[in-house]
Amino acid sequence: MSSQSTDDTGSEESSHIDDCLAIGSIVNSNSHMDYTVEIFNETDRDRPPEPHECGFGQPVFIHKTIDGTEYIIMGVIYDTQLVDPDQGRSGPRLAQGDQPQFTPGYVEERTTLAGVALLGTAEVTESGTVESPSHEMPRWTLAVDDVVEQCPDEVTRIFHTGTDGGLQIAYIERLLDVAGPLGAEVTLAIVERLRDLFSEDAHQRVLDVVEKDVRWQSSVDRGVMQ
Amino acid sequence: MSSIDSTASTGGGGKELIGTVAGPGEGPNEFIVVTPDEQAVKTGEFITYSVPVEGTDRDVIARVTNREQARGLPETFMADPNVAPETVASTLGVPTDEIDLYRLEATVIGFYDTGMQTFSNPRQLPSPGTRLWTAPNEMLEAILPNLGVDEEAATDTSGSIDLSRVDVEDREGLAHMGWLLNREANAVDIHVPIDEFAATHLAILASTGSGKSYTAGVLMEEMMMPDSRASLLVFDPHGEYGTLSEMRGDETFSGEGYQPEVEYFDPENLRIRISELNVGDVMSILDNPSDRMQERLDGGWRAMQRRESRTWGVNDLLDEMRQQYGEDDSSVGALEWRLRRSIQRNDLFTTDANVPLDDLVAPGRCTVLQMDTLSRRDQQMIATVLLRRLYQARLAAVRNRGEDDKFDGEIIRHPLFALFEEGHRFAPATGEAPSLGIMRTITSEGRKFGFGLGIISQRPSKIDQDVLSQCGTQVTMQIQNPTDQDAIKNSVEAAGEEVLRELPGLTPGQAVVSGDSMNTPVLIQVRERHTRHGADSIPATSQWQQAHEERRQQPSRAEAADMGGGESTGEEDLL
Repeated sequence: MSSQSTDDTGSEESSHIDDCLAIGSIVNSNSHMDYTVEIFNETDRDRPPEPHECGFGQPVFIHKTIDGTEYIIMGVIYDTQLVDPDQGRSGPRLAQGDQPQFTPGYVEERTTLAGVALLGTAEVTESGTVESPSHEMPRWTLAVDDVVEQCPDEVTRIFHTGTDGGLQIAYIERLLDVAGPLGAEVTLAIVERLRDLFSEDAHQRVLDVVEKDVRWQSSVDRGVMQ
Repeated sequence: MSSIDSTASTGGGGKELIGTVAGPGEGPNEFIVVTPDEQAVKTGEFITYSVPVEGTDRDVIARVTNREQARGLPETFMADPNVAPETVASTLGVPTDEIDLYRLEATVIGFYDTGMQTFSNPRQLPSPGTRLWTAPNEMLEAILPNLGVDEEAATDTSGSIDLSRVDVEDREGLAHMGWLLNREANAVDIHVPIDEFAATHLAILASTGSGKSYTAGVLMEEMMMPDSRASLLVFDPHGEYGTLSEMRGDETFSGEGYQPEVEYFDPENLRIRISELNVGDVMSILDNPSDRMQERLDGGWRAMQRRESRTWGVNDLLDEMRQQYGEDDSSVGALEWRLRRSIQRNDLFTTDANVPLDDLVAPGRCTVLQMDTLSRRDQQMIATVLLRRLYQARLAAVRNRGEDDKFDGEIIRHPLFALFEEGHRFAPATGEAPSLGIMRTITSEGRKFGFGLGIISQRPSKIDQDVLSQCGTQVTMQIQNPTDQDAIKNSVEAAGEEVLRELPGLTPGQAVVSGDSMNTPVLIQVRERHTRHGADSIPATSQWQQAHEERRQQPSRAEAADMGGGESTGEEDLL
């Protein structure tokens, strides 16, 4: 995939999905809506994602061709997990820190896993941008090793624009459900991003209402407020 | 409207499918209805469903008593008034079209029993899933007021009972007061049977400015229509009914050679013959008579009443008392001063003139006693004496005294209806009023003698409870005062909780009609009067302006009224 060799970190400004930064690949799924992605490191890619490029609340997409139509399947990183197989080992090590070439594979299998909740789909146009966003649940399943790419802001914006030009966050109930304990936080992270993308006053006010609602509800759910 | 029309319009005449019964409610006669519609059903609306009673399907009427939203957008979507909740909903992908669900509480009134001629409770709630309609307009017109619609009137050509075919407009002796508030104007006209409230008395209770005199005007207009031709007597302490004279010669009120008469009596020709008073009346207007004085007066008065002549005065009475108790009796002396002050110097009382009752009341005549210049005590005195004479005259008629050659008293052979504006003046709950006794008698006994009273008041709590509780029909308008609401609750039998709950929320011109004239209390919009309304408040600012202009144009008089200097202190001028 072309994105693996590019250094173009400015791709977020474009509405094209071709040159986006690959941030990981799917290794597991917990449900139809909930996938585990292994974040690429130096051994996987020349240009692995920086921490801020695959952080909590980062919109991502998977580019798939289904039945002859190109789609992106939108998702968001709602959780991360560190895996270190070496952890707890007290035996001798085969290699020192400055001799990575002698290190057996499993020692370097320290990885970062990210949970990705699916948000919806959009069709890819011939010119490489997206259209017809849908916040319905995608019907197709993804596959292991499918590459997950960082979603450019412009695509995020198009994805969140409804048919009437209004703001749309119709996946919110599923996201809150799938993301579980961090559902409120990931929703607020998306709202924060949308604030930058939809600067109109009317949209900001809607986001205010949504944000307050989510904050209030989570405070109540968590027992801060009765 | 012909009967064919009313049958044909049954489907469209206010009958609309509105919801489905969800299940029984809290009370034994309550049930819950779920409706998706936002507008169709308001609180107070009459709805209907069909239930088999002894093998026949009956249309049961129920009243919607409460309305709650069962499903709708959450309040959190309304956090910012600048953002429509629908916008938030569409952003979050929540459906907004036709999601609102309402939960109505309804209370069963019953089906109209043509045998009993009133509502009969089927003692059976509709089963869940039963479909509900708003009750058809024509049907409500026929069964809400106590019109006594019987089986014959309700049976159509095919032999089945259809209450919607009863044409209320064809019936006589009804007062068209207005229309059902929850429906469109004139969709369900409420016709109140005049016979009913003329026999069992009427109370119009409302706070100032909510249209009680207006409503009374409407009723009086209806009573003067050619199909009623009432004999009306209006006690008008404020002179509010001057505009009723517009009924004279108005085509609306004339027919079949009939024209309503409207007569006004002002204090000039309202006189009380002293011999008409009884000793109790006199006591009530004297200043603190001692026991001995009362005894002397009683003796003197009895002697005077036994005389042939009825044109005696205070002097004759004093002569009689001196004759009985001696020239130098101190009590008679004290009485003399009191009698001269209270009776002889009061223009109201005369020795001879007595308005013949036939001049005062007649069928098709509305007599207005304009008492606005009289003191409260004089107003009460006129009411006392007139009511007593009228009551005796009715009593004489009902007991066929007219056939007795020896009977030389007055007799009135037609029923009467007397309307009291400011009713609490004539039958006060506290304090003494000479008129209270006769008002109690008429409200409790008048039914038998065809003498009905109408009490209009803005202070129900200040009306004598015996009088108020005997008023069989009540027209209640906006009342905020809790004391007055309690008075209505305590003395008006038909005023259910639902009526009382409506009272504070009514706006001028809206009224609850309840009691003997209705089969169930009904919220109405009072119709417009044919004659002008005469009781508007005085427009103070414009009259001040006008008066000031007039004063400015007469500088000399304004100077003369200076009270600040000179020998006069000003105070003397005022006294």
